[in-house]
Parts: sequence; C-alpha cells; structure tokens
Amino acid sequence: MASNFMNTGSSQARWLILFSYIIALSFDTMALLENATVIIPPISLMVLLYWSAHFLNKTHLISAFILGLLADSLYQTTLGAHALVFSVLVFLMLRHRLRFKAYPVWRQAFSIGVYMMFYQILNYIIFSPVLDSNDIIQFWSMPAIAIIIWPLLSLIFRRITTNVVKG
Amino acid sequence: MHFVIAFIAAIALMTADHYGHLMGNLRSALLTTITPIEQIASLPKQIYQWTTTDFTSINALEIENQKLKTEILLLKAKQQQFINLELEVDRLESLLGTTGKITNQSVQIATITYYSSNPISQFLTVNRGYLNGISKQQTVIDSEGIMGQITATTPTSSRVLLITDPDHQIPVRIQRTGQRGILRGTGQDTTKLDFIPKNSAVKKGDLLESSGLGGLFPEGYPVAIVTQVDRLGDNPYLDVTARPIAQLHRSRKVLIISKEPLPTEPKEVANGE
Repeated sequence: MASNFMNTGSSQARWLILFSYIIALSFDTMALLENATVIIPPISLMVLLYWSAHFLNKTHLISAFILGLLADSLYQTTLGAHALVFSVLVFLMLRHRLRFKAYPVWRQAFSIGVYMMFYQILNYIIFSPVLDSNDIIQFWSMPAIAIIIWPLLSLIFRRITTNVVKG
Repeated sequence: MHFVIAFIAAIALMTADHYGHLMGNLRSALLTTITPIEQIASLPKQIYQWTTTDFTSINALEIENQKLKTEILLLKAKQQQFINLELEVDRLESLLGTTGKITNQSVQIATITYYSSNPISQFLTVNRGYLNGISKQQTVIDSEGIMGQITATTPTSSRVLLITDPDHQIPVRIQRTGQRGILRGTGQDTTKLDFIPKNSAVKKGDLLESSGLGGLFPEGYPVAIVTQVDRLGDNPYLDVTARPIAQLHRSRKVLIISKEPLPTEPKEVANGE
C-alpha cells in the first residue's frame, strides 16, 4: 500500500499534492496581505521542496516552474523570475534528496534554512529590493523562521500521507 | 535535462516580459488563476472586519452620517463654483484660441479587494475587470490624488501598480514653478523626484502634479508633496523625496479614469452661450 502511494501516478497522491499547493499559495497570499512577505518564507516553496524530497520518481521541475510563474503573478515581478529561482532550488534538492530524506527532522530543518538563505540571496540579486534598517533584519532572518516552520510542516504532511495510505 | 529546459524557459520568459511586454495574455491568465486564491486569503480579514463593524454602535454611525452629510454639502457648494469656473475657462480659451484644458472624464468606482506593500512590489487589486470595460494603463485615483495605473486585468478584477512601486515612474511637474521631472517609486511608501538640477527652486512642501507628458496619465492631478530636498556632493541633480498625496493604504474605494474624455464639450459651449 505504501509503495503504491509513493507512486505519484496514483490519483490520491496527485490530488493531495495539488491541494497542498493551493493551500500553500493561499498562505503566501495571506502573508503578502499582512506585509509579512519579507520575514515569512514562501510556504509554497517549502511544500514543493518537501514533495520533491518525498516522491523520488519525479523531478518536480514542472511543478516548480508553474508555482514560480504563479508566484511571479502574485508578487507582480518579472514573469519567469520566481520560476527560475524555484527551479534552481528544486534542482539542488534533487541532487541531494536521498541523503536529505535520511536526515533526522532537525537536520532537515537546517538544510531547509540553507536553501532559504540561498533563496533570499537570489531574491536580493534578482529583485534588489530597497530595504530600510528594520526590513534588512527581517529579510535576512527569514531562513531562521523557515527552520522553525519546517518540523511543523513535515509533521503535518507525514500525518496526512499516512492517513491517506490507511484510508 | 528537465532542469535545463526549465532554466532556458525561465530566462526566455523573463526576457520576453522585460523587453517586449509580450506576455500580457499569459500574465492575465495566471492572474485569473490567482484571483480565487486571493479571495480566499482575504476572507479571514473580511470576516474580522464584518464582525467588528457589526458591533459599532448606532451612535457612532449617526455621527459619521452627520459628518458625511456636511462634507457633501461643502463639496456641492464647491462644485457650483467649479462649474462656473469651468465655463469661464472655456470662454476664455475660445477667446484665446487654445484647446480645452479641462476635460470631463468618465470614471468607474471600484473597491479594493487585495493589496500588497512590500519592498519588491506595491500594488492593489480592485474588483473591476475587462468585463467592466477596464483596460491596461488606465489611471486610478482616490479623493486626494493619483494612486497608480492598471497593469493587468482579469475578467472580474485588475491589478493597480502603485506610484510607490520601485518599477513605477510618472511624469510630473512642480505646481509652483512648472518645472518638470520624473517621480519614481522606492518600494517604501515614498517616492523620489528625479532629474531636478541643483540650481532649481524646489523646496519642502511643493505640490507635484501630473504633467500629462507621455500621454498615459491625465494632466493636472495632484500626485505627491515634497518632504525633503538634499544636495549630494558633486551630483548635478538634487535628491528630492516626496510623499504620495493619495491615501494608498487607507482608501477603500477608488476611481478608475477612462482613457477617452466624455464627449460633453459641445453641450457646454451651448450652455455658455
């Protein structure tokens, strides 16, 4: 049963992934509404990284590209900019996802922190936002928030996937 | 292999979007996908607002009603004078042989449904789309001044790029001296006035109004007030900071100005005679 679920071709898994992306995007949209985008990490990217480490039989680059485009239209940035960043990060994850999957949760969280730092660096280079002193602290402390969020996120998804397998 | 394709596609998209603005349809399709998500995301806030407004006392509403009535009265009184002045200007202009400066433009009222103000992008979403006849590059104002312009439309909503967005620039002139400049957004709720030479007489408190050059924005609407003027060493231009006059984050209703002025000129001349 579990091996059946690991196959992304199974319709349950596909719906779950799609639904999780929609929820993640609404979280991102809410963060934007509360002016917290500078400090709250993009949840859609974290969910994407989770699935790309979880389902090993897919590259997830198409999802990364489409999610990136949606992020571009959400943040009103040049079309393709976030798509590029998301694809690069998923590609990096694909390189070391076997090791990543074997890590304990806290170590996974720190790896995600590194990914988010990389995301912020790319963000800084591509969009060069004007940041005042307060924003700068928030901008560079975003990876730390990601480290805190990751264990929660992976716990929720582990619960959901095991439930779906049981159901 | 997939990665290389995604990489090249992303770069190609960025180039097409940045240099050619060819991606209007794709962007509009993506925005249409995002719109329901935006609506879901703004639900908690709306519910909070509804519950809090339900508990405001009738007393407060009565006071607000009184205030609004007084304001309408004052505005109507001003409007009477304005109609008079409009006719006067019309007559004088026909004497001088210049073209009409005051144009009546039709407007659509829209409600703000979503907004973003972060250092990377500053925009609003309003609940009027191309089914309501809204098209790109229409100017959006509130009761105080220019807020921004429409950059993308979906069937039922549109994105408004605010004048404080780092990608936004608007041609303005200083009302007092008539000097022209370009007002650029900073992403931090303020704007910078570019290309003002060191020897110009700009000072704190000057009003900047749209100059109408470039043909995008209508002429003569207030845009910002100069808050700071700095001289930067050898730089031949002044560093001028200005605060937008429009209530970018407080307005609930905005007006979208149509591109073509209303064809009311002949009637006015007839009235004047």
